[in-house]
This record gives sequence, structure tokens and C-alpha cells, in this order.
Amino acid sequence: MIKVEHISKKFDQIEVLKDINLDVNDNEVVVIIGPSGSGKSTLLRLINHLEVATDGYIWIDGDDITDENNDIQSIQAKMGMVFQHFNLFPNLTVLENITLAPKRVKKLTSEEAEKQAHELLALVGLQDKADVYPKSLSGGQQQRVGIARSLAMQPKYLLFDEPTSALDPETVDDVLDVMHNLAKQGITMIVVTHEMGFAREVASKVVFMADGVVVEEGTPEVIFNTPSNKRTKEFLSRVL
Amino acid sequence: MSFSYEMILDYAPYFMRGLLYTLGFSISGIIFGTILGLVIALGRMSNIPFISVIFKLYISLFRGTPLFVQILIINFGVVPVIVGHSNPYIAGTLALSLNAAAYIAETFRSGIQSIDNGQTEAARTLNLSSFDTMRFIIMPQAIKVVIPPLGNEFISLIKDSSLISAISAPEITYWAQAMNAQYYIVWTPYLTVAVLYLILTLTASRLMGILERRMAKSD
Repeated sequence: MIKVEHISKKFDQIEVLKDINLDVNDNEVVVIIGPSGSGKSTLLRLINHLEVATDGYIWIDGDDITDENNDIQSIQAKMGMVFQHFNLFPNLTVLENITLAPKRVKKLTSEEAEKQAHELLALVGLQDKADVYPKSLSGGQQQRVGIARSLAMQPKYLLFDEPTSALDPETVDDVLDVMHNLAKQGITMIVVTHEMGFAREVASKVVFMADGVVVEEGTPEVIFNTPSNKRTKEFLSRVL
Repeated sequence: MSFSYEMILDYAPYFMRGLLYTLGFSISGIIFGTILGLVIALGRMSNIPFISVIFKLYISLFRGTPLFVQILIINFGVVPVIVGHSNPYIAGTLALSLNAAAYIAETFRSGIQSIDNGQTEAARTLNLSSFDTMRFIIMPQAIKVVIPPLGNEFISLIKDSSLISAISAPEITYWAQAMNAQYYIVWTPYLTVAVLYLILTLTASRLMGILERRMAKSD
């Protein structure tokens, strides 16, 4: 499980996260919602060490990723990340994007890595796009490649940083469908998103953040139907 | 202004040999300068402050002093310490390479830093080592960005090689000066070498253009 304890983060003097606590149990889908600038993405980036916390602990299966004495790389290896802007490697084909890390890091043979990549591409519905470059794909297709690329490293946890925010509306559903399927397969996911429909349907737990604090958390039913905090109500009335 | 074709014929064999030397100095400067430049760029971007400072110092030193002075120091100071006497071939190659490397390093650095940070972040979340990230992701993208300015560096280097005539390296400017001294004529020798440099630099920029187009095709 992932346990975030008393995490705070300052950029210069600006405190973007204040004393955050969050539990993510295995096989759960935790969806983090909230207005822009609430620190959602920063929290995600702290969890997999793309940013370094100012204070607090983040336990990944009992190992603290904020402790530089730990083997950060091996803790990071448990987590995959899907980015808002996909961050595919434009100089590599779709297949190469997916096989590079398994070959270089996990030392799979080309055949093994490619077999796995084709299976993953089938999973995200892009089996016929293996040999094209990312540039020729739509945003939604690129994001699905991004998901396949993360899955190729067989992470235990998958973190999504606003995966559909940069997409054309008509390609959003394809990506959400893939994420929905992954959730059904029991992959533990933390999803930062503005897709309330997805949160309502798929989340085991919804976390509402604003101004760098967790304002309220609970099951989707509780958060969406009977939110107790005034700010949660205000936010939901604006986005629903 | 007078231009004597007969005198050119007289000196043609020297200009031919000189041209080979100019080419040799330029090409070795380009090769060593590029390799060294890449190493310096990576060192300059090191996270270890001590290493980064050393390479920064190197770049400031070579960009902040005249190439001509560097050539003199290397020929009459550095090379004699290493091989026992001055040697224009070693000194010329060394000076051109070391000087070009400083400029090329900055070109590489700006190319590498122009690649979106999201690429490095994605690589990190995939557990790729920083070496693999550089080799498979950053460099292949940076090379494309770097080729046009690198072409400019190469052209400067070809022209700058004329300075090593001052340490009696027998390249084309050296022979132009010799011809000038022998016949007391100005236009014929110097216009001849000017045309030769122009041919070299135009060829170089043509080649870089071809390379640039070929690189652009692959994405």
C-alpha cells in the first residue's frame, strides 16, 4: 500500500502542499479531484519522486521514498506514470517506446519485449499502430500508448496525472475505457482528473483537494451525493 | 589590381599541398572538436558542482581568449613541453580542436537543454538509467536541433585554420603569404586562397544541408 504522511511541499516560499495524509490500499482506485492549483499533480509527482517533499513521509509498501538513503530507483520501479502530455519518445516508434525500458532495464530479449508490447497494444486497442511514430497518432491514441508503455514495466501502482486533460473530447472515452479495464483487473491506481463521471464510476475512494490540503475524502457516493464540506459542495456544483 | 595566372600555375603544386593540409586540419578539428565538445557539454551539465565548474572554466578560457593567442601558446609553450620542440602540425590540430570544442560544447548543451523535461521524467518513471536516457532518448532528439548551428561551427573552423599559417603550418594561407613575399604581389595569392576557402565552406554547408534534410525525413 501507499501511505502519505504529513507531506508538505514548498516551492521557494510558496507552500503548495500542507500536511497531506493519504492511504492507498492495494487494488484500490483513488481519484483525486479539485480546482487547478490545488496541488493534486504535485502530490502525484512527490509520490514517485519526480519532486522531493519538503517535509513528511511517503511509504511505498513500507519503504519511505522521501528518504534518500533508501534505494529510490527500486521503490520507483513499483510505480508507473501516465502524463498529461503523454511524454512519448518522438524519435522512437510506438513499439520501440514500449520495448525500450523492458529491454534496457529488465533485460528482456527483443522477442520477449516485442511479444509483450504487442499484447499490451492489443489491450489498449492499438495493435495495428506498432510501427508508426507517435507524431502520426491522435492524442487519445498517444495516451493509450503511454499507458501501454507504463504497463510494460509491470508496475504494481499506476499513477495518472490528468491523463485526459490535453485530449480532444472525442478521444477521451477511449482512454477512460482503457483505465476502466485496468481498474477491473485490480491494478492499484491513483488518478488525478477532472473527469467526474470516471471518478463516480470507477473510484474506490475520491479525495477532494483545494489550496494544498485534503478537504474531504470518501466513497464516490458520499463525496458526490452528500459532501459535508462547503468547499466540496461549491466545487462540485461548478463542475457537475 | 593585377592578377597573374602564370604565377598561380607556378604555385599550383604548393596550393594543392596546402589545400590538403587545410582540409586535414579542418577535418581533424571537426572530428576531435565534436567528440571533445560532447564530453565537455556533458561535464558542464554534471550535477556534481566541482566537475561542472571545471568544464565551465574550460569553456570560458577558450571562448574568452583569441584563437591566435591560443595557437601561439600551444605551439611555443604546450607542445614543446610534451614533445620537446614546437611542432606546427600537432599544435595546429590541438589548438583548433580545443578551441572548437569549447564552442561546440555550448551548442550541444543548448541542444540537449532544448529537449522537453517531460522526456527525462518519462524515462525516470520507466527506471531507465541516466546514461540510457541520454543515449536512446535525449541525444537522438538533440542531434537534430544541433546540426544547423554545428554546421556554422564547422565553417568557422575551416576559416580559422588560416591562423595556423602564423606557426608555419604549410596550409594554403601560408603559401599565399610565401607567394606574396616572393613576387611582391598581393591580389593573385590572396584572392586565390579566398576562392579556395569559399569552395571549402560552401561544400561544408552543402553537406550539412544534406545531413539536415536526411535527419528531418526520419521523423
